[in-house]
Amino acid sequence: MILGLDVGGTRTDAVVISEKGVVSLSKTPTTEDLLGTIENVLREALVGIDPTQMERAVFSTTLATNAVVQDRLEPTGVFVMAGPGIDPLAFEVGPSYHLIEGILDHQGFEVRPVNRREVEEKIRVLKAQGIDLLAVVGKFSPRNPEHEQTVYEISKGSFGYITLGHRFSGVLNFPRRIATAYLNSALYPVQKRFVESLERILTSKNIHCAKFLLKPDGGTYKLERSVDLGVAAAQSGPAASVMGAICLDGCKGTSLVMDIGGTTTDMAVVVDGTPLLTPIGAQIGPYKTLIRSLLSRSVGIGGDSSIVVEGGLMRIGPTRHGPPMAFGGQYPTPTDAMVALGLLNEGNASKAHIAMKRLGEALGIADIREVSLRVLKTMAGLIKTYALQFIEEINSRPVYTIHEVLYEKRLEPDSLVIIGGPAAQLAVYLSEVFGLPYRVPKLADVANAVGAAVSKVTAEVSVYADTQKGALVIPELEYQERIPYTFREEEALEKGREALLRLAAYLGAEEGQEIQITERQIFNMVRGFYRTGQNMRIKLGLKPGILSSMEVLR
Amino acid sequence: MKLKAKRRMGLVFFPAFDWAISPTHPEREERLLYTQDQVMEEGLLDVDGIVEYKVRPATYEDIRRVHFCVPDESSVTTESHLISAGGCLVAADAVLKKEVESAFALVRPPGHHSMRVVHGNRGFCNINIEAIMVEYIRRVYGIKRLAIVDTDCHHGDGTQDIYWHDPDVLFISLHQDGRTLYPGSGFVEEAGGPNAYGSTVNIPLPPRTGEEGFLYVMEELVLPLLERFEPELIINSAGQDNHYKDPITNMNFSARGYAKLSSILKPHIAVLEGGYSVEDALPYVNLGIIMAMAGLDFQYVAEPNYKEEYKPQSLDVTNYIKELVKGLRYRFLEGGLKKRTYKDGEIITRARNIYYDTDGIHERQLERIRFCQSCKGAISIDSSSSLGQHVLCVHIPKDACNRCRETAMDWFHEGKRRSYTHLYLQDRDQDLYLSV
Repeated sequence: MILGLDVGGTRTDAVVISEKGVVSLSKTPTTEDLLGTIENVLREALVGIDPTQMERAVFSTTLATNAVVQDRLEPTGVFVMAGPGIDPLAFEVGPSYHLIEGILDHQGFEVRPVNRREVEEKIRVLKAQGIDLLAVVGKFSPRNPEHEQTVYEISKGSFGYITLGHRFSGVLNFPRRIATAYLNSALYPVQKRFVESLERILTSKNIHCAKFLLKPDGGTYKLERSVDLGVAAAQSGPAASVMGAICLDGCKGTSLVMDIGGTTTDMAVVVDGTPLLTPIGAQIGPYKTLIRSLLSRSVGIGGDSSIVVEGGLMRIGPTRHGPPMAFGGQYPTPTDAMVALGLLNEGNASKAHIAMKRLGEALGIADIREVSLRVLKTMAGLIKTYALQFIEEINSRPVYTIHEVLYEKRLEPDSLVIIGGPAAQLAVYLSEVFGLPYRVPKLADVANAVGAAVSKVTAEVSVYADTQKGALVIPELEYQERIPYTFREEEALEKGREALLRLAAYLGAEEGQEIQITERQIFNMVRGFYRTGQNMRIKLGLKPGILSSMEVLR
Repeated sequence: MKLKAKRRMGLVFFPAFDWAISPTHPEREERLLYTQDQVMEEGLLDVDGIVEYKVRPATYEDIRRVHFCVPDESSVTTESHLISAGGCLVAADAVLKKEVESAFALVRPPGHHSMRVVHGNRGFCNINIEAIMVEYIRRVYGIKRLAIVDTDCHHGDGTQDIYWHDPDVLFISLHQDGRTLYPGSGFVEEAGGPNAYGSTVNIPLPPRTGEEGFLYVMEELVLPLLERFEPELIINSAGQDNHYKDPITNMNFSARGYAKLSSILKPHIAVLEGGYSVEDALPYVNLGIIMAMAGLDFQYVAEPNYKEEYKPQSLDVTNYIKELVKGLRYRFLEGGLKKRTYKDGEIITRARNIYYDTDGIHERQLERIRFCQSCKGAISIDSSSSLGQHVLCVHIPKDACNRCRETAMDWFHEGKRRSYTHLYLQDRDQDLYLSV
């Protein structure tokens, strides 16, 4: 049996799945008390379940996002080694941000060394401010982690926790590296407390299996590893629903997955069961990061969005002013339209009728049925407009090779997969405006908890090999090696594969997960008409996917 | 992120990571690799107000507004050339649809050595990507007067050739003196054809010209010329080989200098041309240009060892440039340029030899232009190449007068009676192209 638990903005769901399918599910409103919410939903989900039979438990939470948004980050110092370029003060984060000496160029060659005395001096400044957490980030550190490591060696005795920038990704983006490393250190105490409390709760409920957190790329990693890498679990909500849709539906062909919630609709594109990823990484609150993420779009329109009429036109969302009128709210909502049409047998039907009547008066339509239909069709039309914009943006993503310009196919969804609370009620209207067939998988309303439960571990490594310089770097593993001029591409790939397997095992991956090469660029380096070396850039990873034992749910 | 572009700018980045002239040629896959590294590492694409655009290939129709390709377009271009030119069209669309205030087509391969007639590759160029963009802008957006400021270290002889007879395009080229560098042209006396005399301005700078000299020329000469010409649009052929690290030139310019030049010139569209110090110059120069165009503070942009490596311009170079600018100001700003007069309708001829260094082709041209007081004048070019081609190219300009149109048609029909391998008619007024 496996347990999946998804903490959403308004609702928290849990499912228990066995080889027979979903054996238990529960839902509870999300409260400010995250651990309390988790305890509540678990209590219900575990009724009649033998917790000792649990083999795997996966959690998708709003912990990191909330800590950022509610400004509950711990004071963290940042040391930045920048060199020429954009003024690094533009990337300032946290209460104590310091530029220190140390410059690397784009090949990772040292231009200026780290100044030990200066670092020691800055450490004293931070300690005087009572700061116990640190992030150290250098420009081009994925090409050569030595400067960050040097600063770490000098600082390690003085701080409770230190994050080094190069560990997250081989992707080049200095501002995002700064933000990511900063958040990781600033979240450390929050994450550590959360992991300890969660472990305690699970132990008290007699759950002793392997525990994982969901990441925004639709993969998972071991709960205990998240203490060091808390930022990697932020923003996992959209991943939960997309992975749920993949598990419950399969998402063959090109599917537009839409998760319709109370306040928002999240959309993503899945091609033959594989979700599309963002080019660089997730945004967490105001921070753009290097954390790999599914490509999704959240738009401010959901079942509980308020409807107003302005100049004879109906406007739905983007705000939600409390619950629908059928559930005691003040403003008409699409949910009221569903209740009024008899599509939803919940809430107070006469209140829903009043809501529709009020809208009808403003629109000059007497028939309540007609008003309600107009609401759902308008909502579907709006969602379509946003979706087309989203897909157009994906199709306009730049490409850098002639081959891609000539042979790249445009992405055109051929079906809709609709999940979330009002999925079943809205699907037919969406299908009509899109002119596409739709599928609403069973368990669509707890797809996110299912998605968390069944997602495999993901990991990614980047190999940068420069035979002119004679260096190979795999930043995610702090791995560096001298290589000869004759070093070949196949050898670089093999190094990458070994590193990926090591990282995957550390993060809790099963053996034999499929390895995917996501980037493979080899350049001859020529100086003065002679070849002086090769520059190799290889990325490989375990791609997001569903545990093979969980295909029973379809 | 607090960074926000003061001027919204578009970036069309196309490094063509799968194309090279030959494996060890300077124009090869690796050329923009380190520029990409630097641009990505700086996080420029996350800056609010910097928008990246996707390239699209240009069409043969776009090329035919500018060139006579011998024997045809497919023989002298590959997909890479079409995409590079198309990248410029994307940049133009972004600016002219007012999505951005300016745009930078950071594309390769380059184009400014490609002339009106194309038999092959000269100076790493097959088709003139700026000219293709200019004619597209004129056709689609109805813009008439443009200025092209070519800041590549090599004389923009191709662009000069294409606009030699066009008084509505001000072509200004700053370059290392042709006595010391390929293509060996671009002297002050080259000032345009009989119908467009004075709309070509060449500024041959001495070797070792530094930041001071370039910026002096911009302030004292280029800006006043632009002010007087009043173009609707300014285009910068932004070659980056004036850099002190460039391996095939002898100039002394820097990344921050290029950024300053861009911030002074304020081009609507910049197009990458040459620049072959792929590791030591291009990453920083491109960074500087993008930041300048976006109105971001570029005071910290520099080569990593700028302080140790950059030597300020010497006094003799400074004095030489002052004298040069003085002479050019006299000719082009103070009425010193003496136009030769012709009779209205007079046919003026010139004979030229053109060498295609990359492909080793020799071309011989006999050009005729009708001196005209009502339009830009009909043109015909009789061109023969060492590849055995002998073609006649006839050009009818935009807004051609009836007499010029008749003259051009006479030339074309007369050509049919002779033994040319190909005959072309380019009617820019009707946007038509005929190949026989």
